Amino acid sequence: MKRSTKRRLRDGALYALFLGAVATLILVADWSKIRHNFFDGGVLKAIWPELVTEAAKNTVVYTAEAFIGGLALAFVLALMKLSPLKPYRWAATAYIEFFRGLPALIVIILFALGIPLAFNGKALPGGAIGAAVIALIAVSGAYMAETLRAGIQAVPRGQTEAAHSLGMSGTWTMLSVVLPQAVRIVIPPLTNEIVLLLKDTSLISVAGVGIGQAELTNFASDNVVINSSPTPLIAAAVCYLIITLPLTQLVAYLERRSQKAR
Amino acid sequence: MTMKNALKAVALTSVLGLALAACGSSKDDNKSGSSSDLNLISSGTLTVCSDVPYPPFEDFDKSAPSGFKGFDVDVVSKIADALKVKLVIKDSDFDPLQSGLLLTTKKCDLGASAMTITDERKKHLLFSDGYYDSKQSLLVPADSSIKSIADLAGKKVGVQKGTTGETYTTEHAPDAKRIQFKDDGTMYLALKAGTIDAILQDLPVNLDHQNDPKEPGKFKVVETYNTDEEYGFAAAKDNTALIDAVNKALADMKADGTYQSIYDTYFAVK
Repeated sequence: MKRSTKRRLRDGALYALFLGAVATLILVADWSKIRHNFFDGGVLKAIWPELVTEAAKNTVVYTAEAFIGGLALAFVLALMKLSPLKPYRWAATAYIEFFRGLPALIVIILFALGIPLAFNGKALPGGAIGAAVIALIAVSGAYMAETLRAGIQAVPRGQTEAAHSLGMSGTWTMLSVVLPQAVRIVIPPLTNEIVLLLKDTSLISVAGVGIGQAELTNFASDNVVINSSPTPLIAAAVCYLIITLPLTQLVAYLERRSQKAR
Repeated sequence: MTMKNALKAVALTSVLGLALAACGSSKDDNKSGSSSDLNLISSGTLTVCSDVPYPPFEDFDKSAPSGFKGFDVDVVSKIADALKVKLVIKDSDFDPLQSGLLLTTKKCDLGASAMTITDERKKHLLFSDGYYDSKQSLLVPADSSIKSIADLAGKKVGVQKGTTGETYTTEHAPDAKRIQFKDDGTMYLALKAGTIDAILQDLPVNLDHQNDPKEPGKFKVVETYNTDEEYGFAAAKDNTALIDAVNKALADMKADGTYQSIYDTYFAVK
């Protein structure tokens, strides 16, 4: 047998295996039950407007707030970690290790309910939900700080040296030469962080959810109870994918572009 | 369809059996025949799902043989005795329990989780006779200006998701700001922290907070509300045989005073 024939046979077998697996899955599944439980049109109609205008909107808002706040915090922490002054480095390291090591759920409970308890009713701004978002900022800031630091250190030393030799100051070199290149490097891992944050917003509800404050997961699990049907979970899952898929695709595009630019 | 009919037939015969047994001597051991008639997921064992902890109805207790304690636990263990089966209690979430998911997928035979019998739940569950009259109540800090449900307008009221307390608040205090919590633990913490002004939920749980030995005199129940609702044990929609046997055991317990003595252990008026 020729080598190309062999390869064609092997590829054919692999295709057949794949199609067989898909077909088995489709044949074995109980489609009437799946449709009845997971794609109940009546339930979808009942939750449809609020699913988007309230739940999905809140999820996006909470994620955006947590990401922007976390990124700002991460910049400060990353620069502190690279600082030549020891106390700054120590403080940043301690902060990062502390918040990276805790589950977001515990941090949310401590920020939203523990702080008012410890400080005699003085709470973080924005009510319980605000405090929960700040908790996510604290956690995601710690993660992203490490990402940013790695990005900054990945910029070749020669860039800094060249800037210095042109007479640029340290701060200006960092802002105009190092950081722009570092950001390009860290965009893919930062997107990962957005996707993780998006899912972590489902933890916010532990702080107590007021009217109009529900995010996707909480909204869906409420409506599972109200309608006695798991359909809302599927609807929420689709919403999450509608938010994340374009994001990951955009990053894949940016990555390809930055590969070319180098 | 035939499967359902078969089940119905089994259920019917067991009901008849029970009725006949009841006609016989009342003193004799006329419990429920053999446990194989009860459609149990594992023969000889009554598997009960409960959302633990929810004291005083269900709570962990390492020293107890089942690993759990509480009013529901005591009542179902007496029922298991009457049915002559072993009792296994599984800690589970309330949502899948009340939506019937855990029962239809045969994760457990019976739900015993301080669950109020409602028409909505009856669509997906088969309830036993009521075993406890549920009352709602309003818990506030002792120095609060809230004296009754009428004072709740604009105040933040903690409610547990999907509970009667939430429905009651929506209907009777529509101007209150409802804040939903997943469980009583974080909700009570929120009341202590002052992020909510009151808790509206089942009376026994609020009484527990009022009598919290760690916070003496800090919280009080200012109002209780009759809801004409009862707690019931729940089984899968088609498991009539089991519910009939449970009802029979409950009736016997109420008749011979066992129920009252369990009740007094937990809810005796002091």
